[in-house]
Amino acid sequence: MAEGILVVSAVLIFFGVAFGVLRLMLGYTLVDRVAAVDLLTVVSISLIALDAHVAGRFIYLDVALVYGVLSFLAMLAVARYLERGF
Amino acid sequence: MRELVVYLLCASIIASGLLAVRLASLMAAMVSGGLASLFAAVCYVVLGAPDVAMTEASIGSGLSTLIFLYAIRRTAGAEDSAWRS
Repeated sequence: MAEGILVVSAVLIFFGVAFGVLRLMLGYTLVDRVAAVDLLTVVSISLIALDAHVAGRFIYLDVALVYGVLSFLAMLAVARYLERGF
Repeated sequence: MRELVVYLLCASIIASGLLAVRLASLMAAMVSGGLASLFAAVCYVVLGAPDVAMTEASIGSGLSTLIFLYAIRRTAGAEDSAWRS
């Protein structure tokens, strides 16, 4: 049961990364690309958490925490830039 | 399994780096460059170096993105000048 949940989450993370990179490469507007980068950040955090569980090393969760805070700050700065323009 | 994840992350790093070089808009190129360092940080975690990953995430993905944003804002769309061939 637990193995099945891990495999399903790994498959979901794989498709998240694949479609996120696809959206980033195709992206029609800048907002599409920024949203794709935000999606990829969230998927990467879940990948780090999954790896922390699989490898049994819970210090990896600290990396996920720092990652979430920093990506939030970066996306906030980018959104402020997009709202205000040049 | 772990090798597959590392290969996927390396392919994503290459795709993000190519996009950062190829994109015409400076803002989109900056976001793609931040994404490349984001994938590099995840790759370091998967390869078993959490401290390197934390430094890469804080400097590469956070600080350099903010500094590039500030620089683009100060130079205000100079990408349309003679630098483009």
